[in-house]
Amino acid sequence: MSDLRLQHLEKIYDNKVQAVYDFNLDVGHGELIVLVGPSGCGKSTTLRMVAGLEDITRGKLIIDGRDVTQMPPKDRDIAMVFQNYALYGHMTVYENMAFSLMLRKENKNEIHQKVLAAAEILDLTSQLNKKPGQLSGGQRQRVAMGRAIVRKPKVFLFDEPLSNLDAKLRSATRREILLLHKRLNATMLYVTHDQTEALTLADRIVCMSMGHVQQIGTPLELYDHPANLFVAGFIGLPPMNLFEVEIRYAQAVSPDFEIDLSYEEYNVLKEYEGKTLVMGVRPENVVQGGELVVNVVSNENLGQNTLVNGFVGKHKITCKFRDWFKYKYGDRVNVSFKKRHFFDKETTNAIRI
Amino acid sequence: MAQILKSDAELKKDRLRFTKNKLSANLILLAIAANALYFVSIYGSDVGSYYYSLFIGASIVYNLVFMLTAFLSSEGVKSYKLGYAVISIILGILQTARIFYIPMKAFKAENPVVGAETPTVMGEGQFRYVTACLGISAVLLACAGFVGIAKTTALNKYQSELDGLKGTEREGTDK
Repeated sequence: MSDLRLQHLEKIYDNKVQAVYDFNLDVGHGELIVLVGPSGCGKSTTLRMVAGLEDITRGKLIIDGRDVTQMPPKDRDIAMVFQNYALYGHMTVYENMAFSLMLRKENKNEIHQKVLAAAEILDLTSQLNKKPGQLSGGQRQRVAMGRAIVRKPKVFLFDEPLSNLDAKLRSATRREILLLHKRLNATMLYVTHDQTEALTLADRIVCMSMGHVQQIGTPLELYDHPANLFVAGFIGLPPMNLFEVEIRYAQAVSPDFEIDLSYEEYNVLKEYEGKTLVMGVRPENVVQGGELVVNVVSNENLGQNTLVNGFVGKHKITCKFRDWFKYKYGDRVNVSFKKRHFFDKETTNAIRI
Repeated sequence: MAQILKSDAELKKDRLRFTKNKLSANLILLAIAANALYFVSIYGSDVGSYYYSLFIGASIVYNLVFMLTAFLSSEGVKSYKLGYAVISIILGILQTARIFYIPMKAFKAENPVVGAETPTVMGEGQFRYVTACLGISAVLLACAGFVGIAKTTALNKYQSELDGLKGTEREGTDK
């Protein structure tokens, strides 16, 4: 049975702006779902509807078999971790973590045990007597997580919890969240605009744009088989290279190049003969050697990889080569495309090869 | 936590490490409030120039000092500082002693106002009221002090037990 079920959820604000359209999702027990998308895509609104901080205009929200659509947040048995931590500055870490349980008037000894257990999981035992102002950003975020853990909720909600942290701390805290998820085996709904977080944390990703769900799937599914142009462009760093091509005699033809299609590709694409499609190639699938010529504009060394930006004719292209290269502006590099994705130009949907 | 806490008593002691002594602190704040009720009553009395003496000036200054010291004690006992618990008890004793100073004297002194309602400067009703205020204030301060001492001692003892445990664990690891 799923822990969390979102059925045809919609949000329309008083000013008639619709933020979320027909959102459907079943979250299984212990699953970590990441909602990802650009700013304003409706991911936080969806999370806030689950939390009860936003009214649900249409649809049903079911947590652990109970319809909680109309329930106030306190009765939903969920815990939320906010981007800005939302800790009480005048309380110690211990008091912050114990506060929600004290409000519920739970036994003080039980509260104590729960707080100590959570503090140990989060490596906060030595910080329990400190106030949030004395902690680093990562520690504060751990306190916020501890406050959620002690309540043992049915569902954990994370609203961009790592956005306030610097890159190094973000990566460390990300690993901690992942470990925490494995340890607690808790159902989690996590919102982020950072695709690296989404790809590394999620059991399944929900990719959203303009209030619509674009694709739901495992990180690999979204990466290898994007459902449409939006997902293809959004997931992956650097983003996928996109070229408009015409299918002509088993070739993908653009003004700047002609690429022979494989047997499998042509089998599917022959029905688009004479039509214009969008061809996508991930930067890591652009390999050195081949007939296409890239005029190099810039060269970025990332240690193990080199990003080469340039043009194939008039098309911008980014290549991600293994190893260290030092191309200069104006160099010409021969490349070929290892794996190609095709999209219908009108519907923007992927054409499955 | 290296060791597993089992009994309620152990948990109660362990809780002291992370919670403040709010009981003592709040008792002292209540004592300050009771003292305020006392001096408002005294200074609000209309008994001619009876209270206009050096003593009443000293009493005002003492009230200010008392409130400041009591407030500091409140903050001190909250953080389990033994010294402040002792100060709280001393303040309690002083509050008791004050009953025998201005209130008692005024209760026994003849009223200088001609045709006054009460024959003495402080009527019996007011005397009972201010004595109760000072008495309550004294009891609250003493209770706060004793609770503070008990909790602080328990915490210190528990903390040294934990430190001893940690030391033993470290020695074990070193070996």
